[in-house]
Amino acid sequence: MTTPPIVCDALGHEYAGGVLALKPTTLTIQPGEVLGVVGQNGSGKTTLVKHFNGLLRPTSGRLLINGEDARPRPVHDLARHVGYVFQNPNHQLFATTVEAELRFGPTNLGLTPETVAERVQQATSFFGIEKLLTSHPYRLAFPLRKLVAMASVYAMGPDVFVLDEPTTGQDHAGSNMVRKLIERLREQGKTVVIVSHDMALIAEVADRVLALWAAEVIASGSPRAIFAEDRVMQRTKLYPPQITQFARRWAPASTRPLPLTVAEAAAAVLGEER
Amino acid sequence: MAQHLPIPVVFVPRNSFFHRLHPVPKLIWAVGAIVMAFATRNPLVLLVLFVLGILFIAGAGVMRAYGRVMLVLFPISLSLIVFQALAPAFPQPWTPIAGFGPFTIYQEGIYSGLSLLLRTFAGSNFAVLLVLTTHPADLFTALQKFGVPHELNFMVSASLQLIPIVQREFQIVLSAQRSRGMRATGFGAAIPSMVPVFAGTIERVQQLAMSLESRAFGSKGAKTSLREVRASAKDVIFGLIGIVVTVAVTVLVLQYQAQLDWSKTPFMPDWVSVALVAVAALTFIAFTIALWWRASRE
Amino acid sequence: MSNPIVSIQGLSYQYALTEVPALRDVSLDIAEGEYVAVMGPCGAGKTTLCLSLNGIVPHMMAGGVEGKVIIAGQDTAQTTVRELARTVGMVFDNPEFQLSQVTAREEIALGLENTGVPRDEMIRRIDEVLGLVGLRGFADRSPLAMSGGQQQRLAIAAALAMYPRVLVLDEPTSNLDPIGKEEVFSVCAQLNRERGMTIVIVEHEVEVMATYASRVVVLSEGRVALNGAPRDVLRQVQALEAVGARAPQVTELAYRLEQRGRPVAEYPVTLEQALAVFPAEGVR
Ligand SMILES: Nc1ncnc2c1ncn2[C@@H]1O[C@H](COP(=O)(O)OP(=O)(O)OP(=O)(O)O)[C@@H](O)[C@H]1O
Ligand SMILES: Nc1ncnc2c1ncn2[C@@H]1O[C@H](COP(=O)(O)OP(=O)(O)OP(=O)(O)O)[C@@H](O)[C@H]1O
Ligand SMILES: [Mg+2]
Ligand SMILES: [Mg+2]
Repeated sequence: MTTPPIVCDALGHEYAGGVLALKPTTLTIQPGEVLGVVGQNGSGKTTLVKHFNGLLRPTSGRLLINGEDARPRPVHDLARHVGYVFQNPNHQLFATTVEAELRFGPTNLGLTPETVAERVQQATSFFGIEKLLTSHPYRLAFPLRKLVAMASVYAMGPDVFVLDEPTTGQDHAGSNMVRKLIERLREQGKTVVIVSHDMALIAEVADRVLALWAAEVIASGSPRAIFAEDRVMQRTKLYPPQITQFARRWAPASTRPLPLTVAEAAAAVLGEER
Repeated sequence: MAQHLPIPVVFVPRNSFFHRLHPVPKLIWAVGAIVMAFATRNPLVLLVLFVLGILFIAGAGVMRAYGRVMLVLFPISLSLIVFQALAPAFPQPWTPIAGFGPFTIYQEGIYSGLSLLLRTFAGSNFAVLLVLTTHPADLFTALQKFGVPHELNFMVSASLQLIPIVQREFQIVLSAQRSRGMRATGFGAAIPSMVPVFAGTIERVQQLAMSLESRAFGSKGAKTSLREVRASAKDVIFGLIGIVVTVAVTVLVLQYQAQLDWSKTPFMPDWVSVALVAVAALTFIAFTIALWWRASRE
Repeated sequence: MSNPIVSIQGLSYQYALTEVPALRDVSLDIAEGEYVAVMGPCGAGKTTLCLSLNGIVPHMMAGGVEGKVIIAGQDTAQTTVRELARTVGMVFDNPEFQLSQVTAREEIALGLENTGVPRDEMIRRIDEVLGLVGLRGFADRSPLAMSGGQQQRLAIAAALAMYPRVLVLDEPTSNLDPIGKEEVFSVCAQLNRERGMTIVIVEHEVEVMATYASRVVVLSEGRVALNGAPRDVLRQVQALEAVGARAPQVTELAYRLEQRGRPVAEYPVTLEQALAVFPAEGVR
């Protein structure tokens, strides 16, 4: 069996000033897994995932990255394994061209110029941004800026991606683009952790959902299982996507798998007809 | 962390006598202290004024915040003592009292350094007290009575607000860049972190201007105020005392100016003067090194 | 429409130093008491349209303008933003950037002080709007010590306290959790119902807008692409897709079913309508 890329061992976090933002949490993220993290504002989602690349350090418990204790390793070192894409691309873009932006991460890792060029090339083709390379990141429209920010993390070649609110501020096309990218990261065998309030996104892409409530993980399971559990939904004050709500009310007692997407719901309705 | 900073950074909410006092009498004391401090150079008079200020500050329960403010003035005042001792801002001839290799310390210099130091602190104590114990809005309402325009007041308080905001923004940008493998120190970190913070700050200021206009800021017509500052008997009395003390002290020190000029009087044993200069110089150096070290670390 | 409160007449706007106009020949009348959802892809001109409703466009932006905007009988080109502020309340898309005061109480008081609302009335309104947005107990909290969601609520409260006849909200819920979003939309609905406040809200969350809005306006490349009752606009799955917007999931379901040969009598746009169109299993 391969080593899990991220293991939280009773990991807890209390901010200076005494806010207990995360109660001791034990969690194993499997390689190649797409994990969705959901919960109310202030429930501790960002606090949890900021540990994964060392932006926050546990105030209790341990974090293992590829089986090793992350404690002694600084952020710029953990960045090799875990890529963190911030919610607001403006917080990370600074260069005058997209290409320079893509070079920044791999160069920081101390790679040779040839490898850096290769990484930039890979990221460019993966994200399909060949045409943007000479553009100024600040002049790009928001969805493209977000894309460049993600590409600049991809260029560092991490195995794990943490995406904080990837669809916030995106339009329909932008959200679709994010969905496709996550699918392609999955195909490449990458591990993806998504923090989001966008339940439709989570329902469509996540293998597993982690539901937080008041600094605590209160449920973990497949989206189908989590969105079917009234108790979890009520406790976390979350709603399943509209199509799932529809399916549940349309066929309440059904034992069939709960539809999470419009396509699944359509199949279910047609199945009934036949 | 930045999130918990009270803003603006200076006002310390408490419920002391001084906090409840109307801003105007506090303003009178602040101005009075500056007038008195500049009326004389006599260390004893200045010391009395300084101690009075400290007692008020302690009484208001804002000693810690005062300490933080004074930490900024501290190294400057130390250098004042050293430089004045070596080269007094006084007409020659100077009275030498000790030699340090190529340097000579003068009596006039010690006198001048000490009095400048005490002047700075005695004069500023009451102004700091005013700022630390008065809600900015009340302070501005009071200043407005003295003709300072409302817009200016607002701009000052809005820029004070910007400090913690920019601090927090800077933290986020630093985390974002460290996540891309940037080591958080040195010149290499400057551009990747400054550009986003700078761009973000400009956007913020523009947005703030729009938000203020959208809430009729600066519009014509009558204005009202949520904060009500009413003066009671104790405010009037405290203000009057301030005026009387200021006038009396100023008149007296001007009248006895000759006797109060101690520039040629050795009012301290020489070794105390020497020790004072030496300690000031060493502390100044240590302070500078500590600051430099702290800045280069994170 | 007789005497609309918002009347946009042939409005075009191009920001300085840009190649394409942000708005092109937009004409739109909004009657008092409407709840209008504005949708469209990024860069479609939604924010520019919002800013033109209280005169920030063109007064505070550099650019070229054509056409007219009349708000409650005032031509925005002839009226300052500060004066229009008495009629139009504005909530911007970035909550944190629009707060400037030391406490929530003073944040709300700012607009009231500027328009000369008496102190007693001010205190009453602060209390009222804090309750409306669910921030009772936060009056003395610094806006900087609030979560993104709480800041968004405070920005709304500050606009509401001025009792605007028109409330404009530009993506007011982008950082909110699902229940927080729901609360914002329902506060707007309540004000709309009880006080006849006109609401103009930019929102991507089409499922929720389908239940709350009385009208949906879809912008695309600076033009009004679709405009009408939610039921009429949101059922146009293909037209929405073509301009980079989308229909509610239940509407899309109906569309897919029809594509796959199952006729659908009436396209639903809300969950309740969907349950009526596709009766629950076992009920049939
Ligand atoms: N730097 C900080 N200092 C102190 N408390 C903090 C800090 N950052 C977050 N908190 C608090 O910790 C708790 C968890 O915050 P966190 O940012 O993890 O929430 P979240 O689930 O990501 O919420 P959201 O959906 O709003 O992003 C909150 O109560 C928050 O106020
Ligand atoms: N301050 C500005 N200066 C120059 N151009 C601008 C400015 N603001 C917007 N634009 C441009 O005007 C067009 C319309 O932008 P607007 O912000 O109104 O769109 P939007 O529909 O609100 O988009 P989003 O969904 O991203 O908020 C875009 O092409 C944008 O680049
Ligand atoms: Mg978060
Ligand atoms: Mg916008």
